[in-house]
Amino acid sequence: MAADTALAVRHSPAPPHPLVEFWRYFRQNKGALLGLAVIVAMTLTAVFADALAPHPPAEQFRDALLRPPIWQDGGTTRFMLGTDDIGRCMLSRLIHGARVSMVVGVSVIALGLFLGVVLGLLAGFFPGPVDIGIMRLMDTLLALPALLLAIVVVAILGPGLFNAMMAVSVVVLPGFARLTRAAVLTELSKDYVTAARMTGARLPRLMFITVLPNCLAPLIVQATLGFSTAILDTAALGFLGLGAQPPTPEWGTMLSDALQFIQRAWWVVTFPGAAILVTVLAFNLMGDGLRDALDPKLKR
Amino acid sequence: MKIHGGLAALGVAVAIGIAGGASPAVAKTLVYCSEGSPEGFNPALYTAGTTFDASGRPLYNRLTEFERGSTKVVPGLAESWNVSEDGQTYTFKLRKGVKWHTSKTFTAKRDFNADDVIFTFERAWKPEHPFNKVSGGKYPYFVDMGMAKLLKSIKKTDDYTVVFELNAPEAPFIANMAMDFASIQSAEYADAMLKAGTPDKLDLEPIGTGPFYLVSYQKDAVIRYKANPSYWAGKAKIDDLVFSITPDASVRWAKVKAGECHVMPYPNPADLEAMKKDASINLMSQEGLNIGYWAFNTEKKPFDDKKVRQAMNYAVNKKAIIDAVYLGAGVPAKNPIPPTIWSYNDDVKDYPYDPAKAKALLAEAGLANGFETDLWAMPVQRPYNPNAKRMAEMIQADLDKVGVKAKIVTYEWAEYLKRVRTGEQQTVLLGWTGDNGDPDNFLNVLLGCDASKMSTSRWCFKPYDDLMQEARKTADVAKRTDLYKKAQVIFKEEVPWFTVAHSIQYKPVRKEVIDFRLHPFGGHLFYGVDIKE
Repeated sequence: MAADTALAVRHSPAPPHPLVEFWRYFRQNKGALLGLAVIVAMTLTAVFADALAPHPPAEQFRDALLRPPIWQDGGTTRFMLGTDDIGRCMLSRLIHGARVSMVVGVSVIALGLFLGVVLGLLAGFFPGPVDIGIMRLMDTLLALPALLLAIVVVAILGPGLFNAMMAVSVVVLPGFARLTRAAVLTELSKDYVTAARMTGARLPRLMFITVLPNCLAPLIVQATLGFSTAILDTAALGFLGLGAQPPTPEWGTMLSDALQFIQRAWWVVTFPGAAILVTVLAFNLMGDGLRDALDPKLKR
Repeated sequence: MKIHGGLAALGVAVAIGIAGGASPAVAKTLVYCSEGSPEGFNPALYTAGTTFDASGRPLYNRLTEFERGSTKVVPGLAESWNVSEDGQTYTFKLRKGVKWHTSKTFTAKRDFNADDVIFTFERAWKPEHPFNKVSGGKYPYFVDMGMAKLLKSIKKTDDYTVVFELNAPEAPFIANMAMDFASIQSAEYADAMLKAGTPDKLDLEPIGTGPFYLVSYQKDAVIRYKANPSYWAGKAKIDDLVFSITPDASVRWAKVKAGECHVMPYPNPADLEAMKKDASINLMSQEGLNIGYWAFNTEKKPFDDKKVRQAMNYAVNKKAIIDAVYLGAGVPAKNPIPPTIWSYNDDVKDYPYDPAKAKALLAEAGLANGFETDLWAMPVQRPYNPNAKRMAEMIQADLDKVGVKAKIVTYEWAEYLKRVRTGEQQTVLLGWTGDNGDPDNFLNVLLGCDASKMSTSRWCFKPYDDLMQEARKTADVAKRTDLYKKAQVIFKEEVPWFTVAHSIQYKPVRKEVIDFRLHPFGGHLFYGVDIKE
């Protein structure tokens, strides 16, 4: 962060490491910390799902259909959060669902971010037909309602978790592209870029090593917030029967499959819904905190 | 929409009557919470049970009728009939003095007679008939049942005698005449509407001979009927019949509980427990005239091998499916026809749940290491299968235990049916609800060679089909029973399907309703039903 550190040097004699400084700002936001804690817990759950889950997620215990959670009458320690209508352990499915959701979030954001950054850089560096072509395409994608666009993509590709992830990537792509392009345009007019040009840096180096790192702050924030969109949209596609196919324990699919039991067995509907809520909320809180911490305008 | 003051006031009065629900003041009003809007008011043009409930059953009559609550065929507009020796000529003696409904625009000058019968059938049958193209011009039941090819001529010998000549013997013909698509319309009304330049009013503002006449219809809201005072079999015991259209099953149940409706169809299986406990509700149940099955595409490998199909039958735990998916509202099926239909072969032994045996059979078929297949599951709830996706997941888990990897596939409902008919699937979940109570309606329509080009299993087995063809040509019920029983044995040996269950139909009915009877074909009839004051 060449420009920022240069400024810092002038004002204070002993500048803290940027990461330390970032942490100092981030720490002040209690909501963001809470979000971070939940996300860390969720990530650990996802990684160690096999060890944590008491049962395999797709195993059907046909002697234990619709068992209530442990604290209700009829609940057993064998199924802490009860079972669904074909006797699968809710807790195990939720734990494995966390893995599915995390994988979905990471893949969608990775794909969306990669394509979005490349397109945004190209648009920023090549004004004229390339810029216009890319940005108008992005505008078109933005003009369509997110879920509708995702449904169209899935309808073309066919239902399935992988295709749902592709679809949601297409949905989050324009945000990244626009953000990168805007940041690139601001950076291009700065002196350090001119200096790099003067020293003979060629285009790829200029794009990826000189300019891109300075555009990262808004992208990180967008990626975190996009994470929640990705999880939510995939769950929505799952709910509509277009996402993960059985027996994959995906939260949105679990929710829609259990809908008819809403009056009789609240736990089969409530827990997947709560899991989606908590995860999405955690990512949004953390995204907010990141934005505050990374935005130079909000710094003292 | 323009509403007259008087009519609006009437609406309010009826609304108050509904709100009072349990104790209607003067007129006896029965409110039925139906599950959807009818497609229209002429049953010949449509196929949905919802439409038949709202059109064919209250408004019209047919030459023959099903006795309320049974599959027995009784006289309707025809008082009696004769069948010739060769089974190709049917002579119907028509009922005299049957009055048509009267509406604001139409008052019949004559009673029902043979011209009406001829009009009704020729409309669907002859493309050059002036009414053939009216209201879309599609007659799905008439066409699918092969009536156009079957009929040779329809003639009247006098005003009250009609003779049907067929090209081939058709044993279920009398029962077919009792199906909703054969509801008799008024030729006189049709002529009047044609002269007025509004032929489509024939189907929009129905005039029938039935026990009720239509008062008003608001799409997705309400249908109102009044009892036909001059109904030939006597006026209905209730005065007003109201269909309160309520698509959501939980809302329907809430309305019945609150007394806003007296009867509702298709309850949510998960709500049945609460219904049983409610003291003001009589939860009626009956084995439905249906079958839910899992069909193997016998044209595709490895299901062309009988051993593989049998192995599938051993591999899947039927009882677990019935407990979890039907929530007890189903009985295990071993034959392709339900036990309520005559000729049901109770001696047939079902395949027990035996994964070891399944593995052995697969090994014999050279598939000791298992194989991969698809497993199609429909996206909607059907009377014969309340949750196909869950059923597919259970089958998937069972197959996994014998080394078979099944991939669950689903499409939007119309697309699903279309693709199944082209035979894209390897295995598919589907089902059938009977129309006329004849075994032919199941055994031949679903499994015969004629059907094999479109059927789920694409199964054409000569010895089986021979029995079907023979039974079709015979009018002797004892002989037909024998043939159908033999066919069921062959079916069980060849197993083109895994027969899952016959679902039980439940109807929560309020206690003040007297003599509501469940219809085996799943319909809802309100003639003959009474309400306690």
